[in-house]
Parts: sequence; C-alpha cells; structure tokens
Amino acid sequence: MLKNYFKSAYRSLLKQKSFSFLNIAGLTFGLTACLLIALFVWDEQQYDKFIPEGEQVYRVYIERTTVSEGTENMAFTPPMFATTLEQEFPEVEEALRFFNIQWKVLFEANGKQIYEGSGIAAESGFFEFFPLHFVFGSPKNALADPTSIVISTSLAERYFGTENPVGKEILIDNDPFQVKGVYQNNPKFHLAVDYIIPLQTMGFPEERMQSWTWQNLFTYVKVKKGVNGENLEAKFQKLVEQDVHPILKEGGMTYLPQFQPLENIHLYSADFKYDMAVRGNITYVKGLSLIALFILVIACFNFVNLATAKSLKRAKEVGVRKSIGASRNQLILQFLSESILLAFISVLISVLLTLLLLPWLNDFTGKQMALPVLNPLVLLLLVSLSIIVGVIAGLYPAMVLSGFQPVKVLKGGSAGNVQPGKIPWLRHGLVVLQFAVSVLLIISAIVVYQQVEFLNNKDLGFEKEQIMFFPMRGENMVGNYEAFKNQLLQSPGVSSVSIGYGFPGDMVAGDGIIVPRGGEHKRYSVTQLMVDHDYIKTLGVEVIAGRDFSKEITTDATEGFIINETAVKELGFGTPEEALGQPLHWEVWVDEPADSLKKGQVIGVVKDFHYKSLYDEVEPTVLQIFPPAFWKVAVKMKTADIAATLEHVKTTWNSFSPEYPLEYGFLDDSFEQMYKAEDKLRALLWIFTGMAIFVGCLGLFGLAAYAAERRKKEIGIRKVLGASVQNIVVLLSQDFVKLVLISLLIASPIAWYLMQGWLQDFAYRIDIGWWVFGLAGFAAVAIALLTVGFHAIKAALKNPVKNLRIE
Amino acid sequence: MIKITNLVKVYRTEEMQTTALNQLNLEVKEGEFVAVMGPSGCGKSTLLNILGLLDDPDSGSFLFNGIEVANFNERQRSSLRKQHIGFVFQSFNLIDELSVFENVELPLIYLGVKESERRKRVEEVLDKMQIMHRQKHFPQQLSGGQQQRVAVARAVVNKPHLILADEPTGNLDSSNGNEVMELLTDLNEQGTTIVMVTHSEHDARYSHRIVRMLDGQTVLTDIMV
Repeated sequence: MLKNYFKSAYRSLLKQKSFSFLNIAGLTFGLTACLLIALFVWDEQQYDKFIPEGEQVYRVYIERTTVSEGTENMAFTPPMFATTLEQEFPEVEEALRFFNIQWKVLFEANGKQIYEGSGIAAESGFFEFFPLHFVFGSPKNALADPTSIVISTSLAERYFGTENPVGKEILIDNDPFQVKGVYQNNPKFHLAVDYIIPLQTMGFPEERMQSWTWQNLFTYVKVKKGVNGENLEAKFQKLVEQDVHPILKEGGMTYLPQFQPLENIHLYSADFKYDMAVRGNITYVKGLSLIALFILVIACFNFVNLATAKSLKRAKEVGVRKSIGASRNQLILQFLSESILLAFISVLISVLLTLLLLPWLNDFTGKQMALPVLNPLVLLLLVSLSIIVGVIAGLYPAMVLSGFQPVKVLKGGSAGNVQPGKIPWLRHGLVVLQFAVSVLLIISAIVVYQQVEFLNNKDLGFEKEQIMFFPMRGENMVGNYEAFKNQLLQSPGVSSVSIGYGFPGDMVAGDGIIVPRGGEHKRYSVTQLMVDHDYIKTLGVEVIAGRDFSKEITTDATEGFIINETAVKELGFGTPEEALGQPLHWEVWVDEPADSLKKGQVIGVVKDFHYKSLYDEVEPTVLQIFPPAFWKVAVKMKTADIAATLEHVKTTWNSFSPEYPLEYGFLDDSFEQMYKAEDKLRALLWIFTGMAIFVGCLGLFGLAAYAAERRKKEIGIRKVLGASVQNIVVLLSQDFVKLVLISLLIASPIAWYLMQGWLQDFAYRIDIGWWVFGLAGFAAVAIALLTVGFHAIKAALKNPVKNLRIE
Repeated sequence: MIKITNLVKVYRTEEMQTTALNQLNLEVKEGEFVAVMGPSGCGKSTLLNILGLLDDPDSGSFLFNGIEVANFNERQRSSLRKQHIGFVFQSFNLIDELSVFENVELPLIYLGVKESERRKRVEEVLDKMQIMHRQKHFPQQLSGGQQQRVAVARAVVNKPHLILADEPTGNLDSSNGNEVMELLTDLNEQGTTIVMVTHSEHDARYSHRIVRMLDGQTVLTDIMV
C-alpha cells in the first residue's frame, strides 16, 4: 500500500515539474535557513560543557551601583572575594583568581618576535578548575614557579612549529619564562587565551591583594558537591553588605557579589563590563530560533498555498479514486506521502546546501561548526524533520483534496467548494503575513543602513583620517619621548605628532576632578585625557573659548586644564567663556607622596568630540598635560608619499627601540572596528530580507497561479467581449496589490516600534522618516507585481477559446 | 438488486433550488442490463450518482441487495462501493500518473488484496480486455477506445455485482464504441448487472430495458426484444 503511495507520489512530482520545483525550492530554502540557524544555536549552547563537575563551578561578578552610572554588571572583582570565600565558607571547595593581561606584550622565542594580545596571569589552581587538554607537558604544578608559562597550541605553533616546546625559554618583554606545558585551544571554552603565567608574576603588592575596592581580578568558585550555589551567594552577599559596604560608601560606590553558573557565562553576560569571556547573546540565540521557526512555518505555509492552488487540477483524480473505492483516510495518506516525499527531497538538498554554506557561516560567525551527517542521531533527526515538515505542510491540502465530492469534480472543472465571491481567508491571510514580514524587514534594513551610514559619516568633532597610531615600547623611547617626537617630525610627510594617553577609539581613563567652590571641594567623575601640547592640533579638535596648550607658557604643563562643552555644563561653569579661569584640582596618579594635588585652572574649552563610539554620549572631559601617563603616539601624515613617511617612522622607531618591532594601526580603522557589530547586523538583515521576500513571492506566486486557474473561464469571456491584455493584467493584479497594502499597514507600526527600540541603544541616532515606509511599501508592491505579473500576463495572452472549451 | 422508492434529490444554491429527482421509483433486478435515457437535465446523472453511492438522496428509500443504504455515511458508502460497484465514465477518468496496469490494480489496492493475487487478477482482466500488451503504457499513450477498455477493466477487476456506465461511448467513434458495448454485453451475460446512462439509441439497444426520464421522474420503460 505504502509503496503504491510513494510510487504515485513520485510520478505526480515528476508530472507537475514546475509546481514541484517551486515547492521543493521553497521548502529547501526554509530548511537550509533553519539548519544553519539550528547549528549556530546548538553551537552557542555547547560552551564549557566539556568541563567535568562544571555544575559546581560559578563565576563571581559584581553588581556595582554608582550615582553617575547607575547599576551595572561587572566581571571585575576585588581580590578579597576569593580569599574570604575560601576562608569563611566551608561550602567552598576552592576559589580561583586571575588577571587579564589586556595589553599586547612582545614574545620572543626561537628567533621570532610577535606581539601577543591574549593572556592571563592565574593562580596555580587554574587547571584544576578548567582541565584543558594538554598536548605537551602536564597541568600538574605547571604554574607553580613564577617564571613558568603554559601556552596554547596555536601560540606554540607560531614559535616552535610542531615540535615539543616544553622546557624552552620564551622572553616576554625581555623577561625569561620557561614553557611548562601546551594545551589544546578549545573553541568551546569561554576563556580564549593563548598563554597563562602565574598570578604572582604580576607583582601586585600584598596590601592590594587584600583590598575590597581594587577591582581588577576575575574570581571563580567551586562549591562542594550538593551545595546550593544560590544559598552560598546569599550568605556571601550578606557578609559583603555587613562588612564591606561601610568601606565602599566612602568611595561613592557599592557592589553586591553575584554567582553565575559556569554554563551561563557564554550566553548570559552580554551586558557585562570589563568582561574577557567569549560572549554570545541569549537574546540573539532566542531571536534566531524564533526566526528559524518562522521561516520553516512560512515555507510550510507556501506549500499549503501552492498545493491548495493546484487542487483544481487534481480534483478529477480524487473523484476517480473515490469512485473506485478509496476512502478519505487512504487519500489523506496518499497526499501526505507526496508531501513527505517532497519534504524528504528538500531536506536532502538543504543538507547539501548547508554543507556548502557552512564555511561561509563559520567565517561570518568566527566559529568552527560542522554538520555530522553520518551520525545516526543526526540522520534520525533529519528523517523525522522530513516527516514533521511533510505532515505540517501536507495535512491541510490533504484534508481539502480528500474532501472533494466525486460527483461534483467528475462532472466539470470546479472543485465544488469554490464559490464565487467567497474570499479564501486562509490563503490570503498567509500571503499578508508573509509580506508583512518582508515589509518589516525591508524597513529594518533601511533604518539600520541609514544608522550605520550616520555612524560612519557623522562629524565626530575631530579628524580621524591619515593618523598613524601605535604604543611606545622600550625604556629608551618612553624616557626620551620628546626626542622621539622631534625626530618623527623631521620627515616632510609628517604634519604633526602627539604623544599621550586617551586617543579616540583607544582606552581612556575615568577619574575624579575636584572643583573648589566657596570653601567646598566638590568631586565630579570625568574622563581624563592625558595629552601633550600637540594633541588638539593633531586631531583637529576645535577650541571654542580660551586657547590651546602653549609651550611658551610654562605653567600650562603644571596648572593648565582644558575641558569640553559637556564638562562646562556638568561642572556648573555656565558658558564656555565663564569657565575660563575657574580653578580645578586633581589627585595626581603617583604613589608617592600620597594625596598630592595638582592645582590649576581652566585655560580653554574645546567643542565636544566623540572619542568613544556613538553608542555613548560625550562625557564631561578634562584634558591636561601629564607626561608619566604618556604611552600612545599619533602621527598625522600628509597625503603625499605615504610610503616614504612610513619608512621614516620605522627608521626613527628602530633608532630608539630596535629590540621591539613596530606594530601600528590607523585611527580611522580602529574607529570603524567599533561598529563591526552593526556591520554584521546590516549584512544579516539584508540576508533575512532577501529570504523573506523570496519566500513571500513564492506564496504570492502560488496564489496568483491559483487565481489565474480559477478565473480562466472569466478571463476567456472577458476577452471574447473585448478586454485587452492590460485589462486582464490589471484585473488579476489589483487583488494582490490590496493584500500587499494591508501587510504594509500591519508591518509599519511594528517596524517603527522595533526600530525605535534598537536606535535607543545609540546616544546619537537618526530619526525614522516617513519616506522609509513609503519606500518599503513601494518595493513590496513592485516585487508583488513582478511576481503576479507572470501569471497575469500568461493568463491574459491565452487563447480564450481554449479556456472556454473546457467547461 | 436495486429498489428505489419515492427518491427525491434537490440541489440548492443561495438563490434557487433545482429538483433533480422528483419522487422517482425504479427497480433493477440482478443480472439486468438497463439503459437510462432522457434529455439533458432530466436527472439521469443524479440517479447514477445515487445508485453509485457517490451522492445521497434527500428523501426516499434505496434498497441495495435488500439493505437500506439511503442513510449510509461516507465510510459505509465507500466500503459498499469498493466491494460491489464498478464505474465507467464518458471521459474515461483514468489517472494520468499511473500506468494501465496500475490503474486497473488500484481498486484492488483499496480493497486490501494481496500483491500476488492482485497481479493475477489484473493480468486476467487485461487479457480479457485484450490490452495486456499495453499494460506498461500510460493513458495518454492510448487511443480513446483503448482507454475506455482500460476503464472497463478497472471497473470489473474487483468483480462487482453492479456496473454503472455514464455515456461510456460518448467520447468514442462508432467502431470503438461498438467494441465497448460488446464488452459490456459480455460482462452482463456473465452475470453482472449494468445500469448505463446514454444519449445513443444505438447503444441503448444493447440493453434489456430502456428507462426514459423527464424532469426527475421515470416516464416510460421500453422492454427490448
């Protein structure tokens, strides 16, 4: 019986080639999107699952509350967390701390010199918490010695190739370390680090390691078997509230420790500040899952739509089968076998497509995903997917088709249940829904495109082009930065050079500034840019009141402060002119003598400029000359002969720090890096929009085919009566244009609401213009007309006699 | 075999209702060959559909082999149909996607006959209809006469007691038409009851009895000699 079903299913697929093609194309498309998304979602949930007893491991982070920034989650914790947890709570088996080495350091081994950027300094228990697989050496006591280092396979390969490096020496910024082991890089580990050195190597002073306020370490805790992490968290919070909060309040800040289960770190830390974990975002994972489901359902809808549209053609077959004794259930089974066969073919093709597209997706997401097609479980899943999709897609058409009355269908063309003037709500509803999604995505894509363009083109208040950017290295260079700078300026290609700490797109320091006012000293939290005399000139920042730092006026270096417009308002100085001459005090960043104050006054006000991304509003900012913090170099170049200028910079570098290679970037590049996420979102949105439009068109195509089929007699009569081809095309198209307009009405407010929400994340954003909705609507109507037009014209050009003879 | 009493069938649309069968009475005995004639719209096809259990009457009685079937539900009708009734249509109504063999085999599949038995019976009937050599062909590859022979083969493969033929020669030329009529006569002689709707006096002469209909009623019965 089943064999017979599949045989006739196979033949009818072959018979209706274009119909089968459309169905298979639609389903394949939906399934491929689903498979790709499913792989991504599955992969995102695999982080840290390889760690044995991982359910006993928690990361400790803090919920920090300050007056200026409100409550934020921070991955940084003070050193005393681990100490206290281990000493005061018997539930704790062990605690672990490590420090993230955020800057690039120079590695030298085997004759190679490379700046390495991802390493940590960890306590010796690291490999007991996270038993990474060791390729060479052993995790045991690997971090016991202060000069030991454990490296990843990828770092090892850069210096030693495939040979065993255990016992070899690596110089890190000229200090010798000995390789104790090599661990396999694990893409499913939330800490993507290439080297680990002992925490003691960092040389943090003992009193700092007993601090509750210095927050710079990551803390993990492993509880004993059967211990409830939440209870322990509550107990620890209570202790912190009682013992620590009094100390914290002096600094205008409080925090509460929080326990985060190990398996949640990857997906549930998206909003954490100062986090170093490889992070995903549970919102994206959920959103994508929803989209995958949606695409699949829509693809199934299309099948429903096309199949019911084709039902007229198959009505006769149903009549015959029924008259020779087929029961309704047998017919339902027959049609279901057809849709299951179709779904099965689609699954096969989409598996192939998925395999083809995976490298691209891996590239886009930076992952290493694979689809193990030969895994029996995966095979079983794919087969069940075929059956489920086949049943979802085929059930409704099967019910409709099998319900035909043989008496009616055998007599004439009409399927019996089609009554003139009755609107097929289900099919129309589906098309409206699909087009609403398309319109929604078109609008979103336009808005995101506009915002990204806005971000890239907004006047940032400084000139980021043609600025070469690099950190100083080596004592000779740092100690003689003035000489270094002067030598750089020797080249005719260099128009100016600034050395400092706090360049746009780079790290900036937040610190307090004190405003003495009427005997009272009020402290404000501001951004401090440590600059030299040429910073404002090099970046082209505009001075709107007062003056720039000047070398002629020697007190500028010791007493001068320049602030931005926002600082003028925040510090309560009234207008930029009124701010000039106002006194400011700053607690100098040196350990000795403690509490030394730099006392000075405002000498100039600059226009606000965006040294951070446009997600953040411009903060009150203070610029001052403070050479001990000088670290980065910005070289403004002329456009002529850049090669020669670069050569000059290299030569100059080598004459100061030949032991370090020069590694540089450009300011505008590092600025664009900040909008990488938006660029990806933009790319994704285009893809989804394309998909949604394609799928929507499939549905519309089916509906148009159905309408043309159903109305062919009417069309024939109209033509006999003198209707032109245009008349017919308009007649057939106008219904669909109406549907698309309805979907525009539904989608526009939703799109507006969603996009407003997205734009809220940006401190600086575009307004959504009405033309966006107009454009999206126009695009949707145009696409719909193109799709429907094919059938409309085909129907209109048909010889009317043919259509009429059928009746 | 068939006894119909006061049968009424009304078709309703939103605006109007048409009485297709109006208090119709008819009796067909086992082994009879009855032709039903009448002008277009007189209710012949409606009658045939009700006899074939494809449609149900609004009122009246329909005894099939002594059983009242007027109130049968879809399932009961389908089951009765596949065991006892074979259909032959004017437009053949073969399934285009299935070969000759498979078209004829289909009723047996729906009856749940085993595959070896099916093969035997299909071959038997194809042989009898002299289209054995065409069994692998598809309907479009056959002439009209051949298609109708396949349709008849399909109608008789499950050895029905009753064959309902709706203008079986309507789409055929006269020589092919005669062949089909010969086939039906043969079947009748072997004991199958046949009810045939036709416009052709020529075809009607093959039957034992002509029932003439007008406006949903039987008006006259000619007994053929």
